Amino acid sequence: MKQLLLCILFFFVYQLSFSQSTDSLMRALENDSPDQPVIATFKSSRLILSQTTTMVKKHDMDFKVVHRFGDIGGTDGGSKTLLGLDNSSDIYIDFEYGISDRLSISFGRSKYEQLLDMQLKYALLQQTQKSPIAISVLAKTGFTPYRVNTTVFDDYSNRFSYFAQAILSRKFSPNLSLQVAPSFLKRNLVAPGGDEEGLFALGFAGRYKFTKRFGVVLDYYQVFSPYRDNNTNMNFSSPLGMGVEIETGGHVFTLIFVNAKAIVENNFIPNSTSSWSDGQYRFGFTISRMFTLYKPKN
Amino acid sequence: MPLIILLILFFQNTSLDKNTLLICKNVKTTLFSEAPLENIEAKSGTGISVLNPISGELQFVIPIRSLEFNKRLMQEHFNENYMESERYPHAKFKGKIAEPINMEKNGEYPVNVTGELDVHGVKRQRSVKGIMKVQDKKISLSSVFDVKCKDHNIKIPQIVFQKIAENIRITINSTYISQ
Repeated sequence: MKQLLLCILFFFVYQLSFSQSTDSLMRALENDSPDQPVIATFKSSRLILSQTTTMVKKHDMDFKVVHRFGDIGGTDGGSKTLLGLDNSSDIYIDFEYGISDRLSISFGRSKYEQLLDMQLKYALLQQTQKSPIAISVLAKTGFTPYRVNTTVFDDYSNRFSYFAQAILSRKFSPNLSLQVAPSFLKRNLVAPGGDEEGLFALGFAGRYKFTKRFGVVLDYYQVFSPYRDNNTNMNFSSPLGMGVEIETGGHVFTLIFVNAKAIVENNFIPNSTSSWSDGQYRFGFTISRMFTLYKPKN
Repeated sequence: MPLIILLILFFQNTSLDKNTLLICKNVKTTLFSEAPLENIEAKSGTGISVLNPISGELQFVIPIRSLEFNKRLMQEHFNENYMESERYPHAKFKGKIAEPINMEKNGEYPVNVTGELDVHGVKRQRSVKGIMKVQDKKISLSSVFDVKCKDHNIKIPQIVFQKIAENIRITINSTYISQ
């Protein structure tokens, strides 16, 4: 009798451990799901000064208008220029097209030195559960087509500059994304007196979202240049910008304050001489509009 | 004698279990919403479902990220701004089919499913009508029902240019196999 009871008890334990409930089977099936890359680290491929690891999607085109007004304070600012709104230190128009989800090409034109630029950007690594960061790399060629007043731009090859950057980003939470960008700029011709043709710089940028479509952005570049450190009379100043970002579906608006006059790296990394402390910061904005050029039929 | 009883119980148990639960690993889900500018449509083919044909218990899990839109940016906004798929990665349903299931008889039967729909972290009791199709002991389920954004705390902001509708039409199709 005792034996029988034991057997029945054993059977129930066995049944409990082996009989499958819909719940446990569901859980087992759910765990098979693949590791998905993190999306929407940034709203746009551009913050204030920095470009981001976020890519333009395949067959999409991002049309951007970036504007920087004149100095708010200092000698060029004040009420006479309506806090700099009468002037524009730089205007940048850019078309960025997604060849694939991981490769994009862009063409842009700046008011500052009439710089034309062409860029390729590639998403090397996506943030997943295995990879804590995303990495995008970009290469940009800049060309200034017009003769300036001095005679130094005579040779066409002197007018080229080349920019290379690796952007490392991490989305820490749905709200917080940060990135750091080691950069190198090579200019074919520099001012006489020891200015470096090759400049290393490090970009830091971040975004914190307060709501799903509204956030603050911060952007800073540190340029490593003994020439700039030693020539204090030239007033070289590290570019620093801050502002807000608003997304409205197909558009991303950025409203910012920044000391750098220029918008493109080839210009603002070597040539930022406006300082926050002298009132030489300006209002600026970016409008990014995404166009879907090709829709797959299904 | 006890050993024999035990053996009988074992075999009875295992043979029963093996045929009990049915699964579907490629649940087809479509999402459709009529909007003023353009209709919004998305498709997923990787939902999973478990059906117990004896008790009628039924479960669905649809990964939000698996829903694919024609416009990729729309898909990103769907995940980031509406469904918040990083916080709520799945849409889930857990319920029961009211009608008994007869796997021996081919045909199409209307069924009523009652249970809990969990979307965007908000659980709602739902009764949904569907069609069950039995073909050579193979069960297929299909259903069309509406989900109100408001019911699941999915906010549609005023600032967005592409207005989306309050009601989202969901279509589910699943064909079950034994494990």
